[in-house]
Formats: sequence, C-alpha cells, structure tokens
Amino acid sequence: MKKIVAPDYGLGETVKSHAAAIKVAIKEAILPQTVTSHYPGERRRMPDCFRGYLRFDPEMCISCFQCSFICPANAIGMREAPDNRYYPTIDYGKCIFCYFCLDSCPGGALKPTKVHDVAYNDVDEMLTPTCDMIDMPEIIREDERYVEYKIDEHDLSLERVKGLDDLAVELPELEKISMVSVCVAPENCLSCRVCEEVCESGAITSALDGDEIRMTIDTTTCNGCGLCVKECSMQVLRLVRREI
Amino acid sequence: MMGTIEALINLMMADQVAIPLLDPILNILYGIPLLGYLLAFILWKPIFAGLVCPGFATLGVILMLFPWIERKLVARMQWRVGPREILPQFGGIIQLLADSLRFLFQEVIVHRDAKQPYFVQFPVLSFIPALLPLLFIPAGVIVAVKSAYGVQIILALVCLFPFFILGLGWASNSRFAYIGTVREAFMYFAYEIPFIIAVLAMIVLYGTSDPVAIAGMSVPGIILNPLAALTFFIAAAMATSRLPFEIAEADQELAAGPHVEYSGILFGLIYVMCYEKMYILSGLMTILFLGGGSGPEIAILGDLSGVVYFMIKTVIVMTLLAALRGVYPRYRLDQGLKIGWSSMLIMGTLALVISLAEVLIL
Repeated sequence: MKKIVAPDYGLGETVKSHAAAIKVAIKEAILPQTVTSHYPGERRRMPDCFRGYLRFDPEMCISCFQCSFICPANAIGMREAPDNRYYPTIDYGKCIFCYFCLDSCPGGALKPTKVHDVAYNDVDEMLTPTCDMIDMPEIIREDERYVEYKIDEHDLSLERVKGLDDLAVELPELEKISMVSVCVAPENCLSCRVCEEVCESGAITSALDGDEIRMTIDTTTCNGCGLCVKECSMQVLRLVRREI
Repeated sequence: MMGTIEALINLMMADQVAIPLLDPILNILYGIPLLGYLLAFILWKPIFAGLVCPGFATLGVILMLFPWIERKLVARMQWRVGPREILPQFGGIIQLLADSLRFLFQEVIVHRDAKQPYFVQFPVLSFIPALLPLLFIPAGVIVAVKSAYGVQIILALVCLFPFFILGLGWASNSRFAYIGTVREAFMYFAYEIPFIIAVLAMIVLYGTSDPVAIAGMSVPGIILNPLAALTFFIAAAMATSRLPFEIAEADQELAAGPHVEYSGILFGLIYVMCYEKMYILSGLMTILFLGGGSGPEIAILGDLSGVVYFMIKTVIVMTLLAALRGVYPRYRLDQGLKIGWSSMLIMGTLALVISLAEVLIL
C-alpha cells in the first residue's frame, strides 16, 4: 500500500511562508488593493466610445429614416413632429445599444453619451419621444470622484480622481459627404409620384408636360436623404455625391 | 452607625483613583451627600478595578465593540465590506448592539433530548471564570485583589473555561455538539501544557508571580524571552478558538460545535465567552510580555495613564489574535494536536530553558 505523506518544507521555508502570508494580510489591512468602485459615490470613467443613452439634435436631422431602417432590434420608430417632419423615437425596452443608428446617421444628428443608468417607472415610459432625447437625461449626481481602471502587465489597479466626469461626449466634427438624388433612367419612370410624396424637403416636383407627367429633381433643395431612392418602384433613382 | 460610615468613607478616600484632570469636578461632587459617597465607592481602587477597568464596564465595551472590530478588520483583509447596514455612517459600529437585542428577544429553545438543568446552567456559570480573573489583572496600579500568586490564579481560572464548554456540549446531547466537545477536549490538552509552561518560564524569569510586580518590571518580557511570548500567543489563539485552531467550532463541518443547540440569550452568552477569554488572555499577555500599564507617564491622567496604556496594549494583542482569522485557514484536528503536542511543547520547553539560563547567568 502506498502511503501518502504530507510534504515537508523544512523550518526555514515554513517560517518564510508564514511571514509572507502575514505580510500580505498587513498590507491589505492598511491599504486594501480592492478594485471595487463604490457606485453612487464614484463613477467609473467610461471611454468615449461607450455606447450609452442617445441624444438627438433635430437641427442636424434630415429625416432620412436610416436609423429606423438599420435598427436590428426595431427599437427606433419615426414619428411626425408638429413641423411635419419625421424624427426618430427610441424604445429603450428594445434597444440593444448597438449604435448602428448613430453610425448610419448621415447628418450626425444622433449623439453618444456615457449615461448608462436611466430608470423608468414603467415599460410604456421606455418609449422615449423625440423631445426627451434632445437634452441630457436628468441625473442626480452623487459622485464626487471618478474611477479609472489601469491594466498593467500583471494586474488590474484602480485610480481615483477627484472631480466629475462629463457624461456627454462631444464627437469631433465629421466630414460630411453631401449626397444628391438623381434619376439615371428617366425613360423608365412611370411617373407614379411616390418619390414626390415621400420627399420631405420638396425637391421633387411633377409638372404636366403635354399628356405626360414629367418629374424634376431640384438638386439645390435635395438634402440627399435617399427616401425617394428607397421607395422608387422602378429603381431608377440613385444617390450620388454632390458635385461642387 | 454614623461612625462606621465615616470610617468606611475615610477608608475609601485614602485609596482613591487619582485623576488630576477631573479633580475640580470631583471635589464638587464629593461634597454632594449621597452622590459623593457613591463616587467615593466607585473610585475606590479595588472597586474601580472590578467595576470599571479592567473589570466589568471595560469588558462590556470590549464585548460590544470587539467582534465588530474583528469582522471589519478581517473583511478589509479579504476585500469585503463587513457589517455595514446598521448605522452605516459609522460603518455599522452598533452591529453587536443589534445582535445582542436579537439574542435577547429570541426564544430560548431547550430541546427535548437536552439534559435540561445543565443545558441552561452552564452558559450562565461560564461567567465565573470570565469575571473572576479580571479581579487579579492589574491595569497600571489599579488592581482589585493584590496577590502574590495572581498569575497562577488567573491561569487556573482561565483553565476552567473548557470545562464549561465540555459541560454545555455534553448537556446539548447532539451529535455535532458531541463531536465538537470531543475536539475541544483534545485541543484543551494539546494547548494547555505548552501554555502553562510558557507562563512558568516567565514566572521563573521574573522570580515573582505577583502581576503588579511583573507589570512593573523595567524590560518587557517579549524582549527577555520572545520564544515564550510566541508560545503563549499561539496557545492563546488555540484557547480562544481563533481561526487556525477553530477546530472545535468548525462552522463548515460541525455547524457550531459544542453550542450548536443553543439559541437566544444563552447563545449570546456563549458567543461572548470566547471574547471574554480573549480579553483575559490578552490582558495576561500584556502583563507578562508587554510590561502591563507601563509607558511614558501622562501627568493629567494620573492613575488612569496606566489604565490607558494597559488597554491600548491589550486591544493590540486582541487585534493580532483576531487578525489570524484573515490569514490562515483551519487546521485539521490531527494537525492541531501535532502542533500542540510537538512544536509548541518543544517551544515551551526551550522557552523555559532560556528563562532558566537567563536567571542563572545574569
């Protein structure tokens, strides 16, 4: 029968191990190396690319519906505003914070924030109307400092910095590519006037020329939203770069 | 009749605790008829030692605060938070008050199989070895009973503790309590002999066993005989069931060992028992190895300066004992017995040899 014997480390090694254990205990008792952030009193500083609550700037919106089309969770709905334009509303009950909407927005109307702690009273309230998305949500800030995690070679450490972290993210101004809608095959146009109905900026007009209706696109008023391109049943419209 | 009272008051006034800081207030209070007598009684040194420090009141404060200190400290070491919900502004400092209220109002269940008279008696009786040694522990110059054999008396009373634990474990008549009790008995013999030898080494070294005289020595014992101090410290950890030797209680295996069947205020009494023992052993360690209440004199505190130093040293020793909980896991029973019967016995004997050598050579 094989007998299992506990390893014998010798006196020196034993004393050394005890000393090491006690040293760690004393170190932690005096200055604990915890990496817990005490949330209401301090916030973790999120990176600028953090995907949080969305803000919306109606001035920049061209009502192109791109955000609503691309939303994989179908959280964005377009609602008609009093100025007869369509603006996005976000249902945060569905939103998965993928930020596809923000990435696809041609006008840069959707803006990121680092707010991740919004509370709602009920599910209906989570459908945020456009007017509530313009300003930052109201936050009661209890934090006096923010916390940054630093990952060095071996370990994770935590650094506390006094002061409030700005939760709004200001993105650098994007280089805007101005697009315009053109008709590439006017001979195929059915003159169904869907594009005219769908156009928000009134750039597409129809006029009776003899016994046929002729559509014209005013390139100066066209904002390049691409709705007509999407809706055209004969697919004769294209979005192209505006020539300056 | 009046003459007797007069003589008593004179007796008390001759041996008062001198506190220069409070003298103006005390002089006014002594003048008030009944209150003055009461104050003279309380500030009479033997009564002060028994009632206030290191006696009853200090013990109460220690019992109310120390488990909290222990839990907070160990929590800090282990990256936890510790008690927090009750009075969170002060880190849950009155947690033990809440606990004791809970113990007080909880029903005491005496189960059918228990040996009922003993089951109820032993937790209460265990206060005898807890309170009596305090009479012999001097805080500075304040001591209740001056005795040339003080250290031995403290030792003898402290050694009574396990009997009460064995008694209540037996009276519980439950399998967990039974196993815990047997383990306690095993551990008792394992630590008791090195413990007594370590104390003996110090008595041999000092040539006296009067706690007041030992505390008044110029060189603290930990410098004269560090090996005895180490043996005493480990034995104290074993005696108070601190974590590396929490073999008898062993929460994970035995629920709570000998006191698994207890509830309510009886459990409360048992719960504080180990802290009482810790306080007494820390006090004894302070006297034997750390020079008792000696330290730079604080003039305005008078006699209380010794009390302050004694308490500071005692609490430090208690904290060290408690901090073991954050460092070590529990030993198995056989490992504990091996440590007690081999390493510590050898260490204790060596300490005795060192003491004898120092006495003979110096």
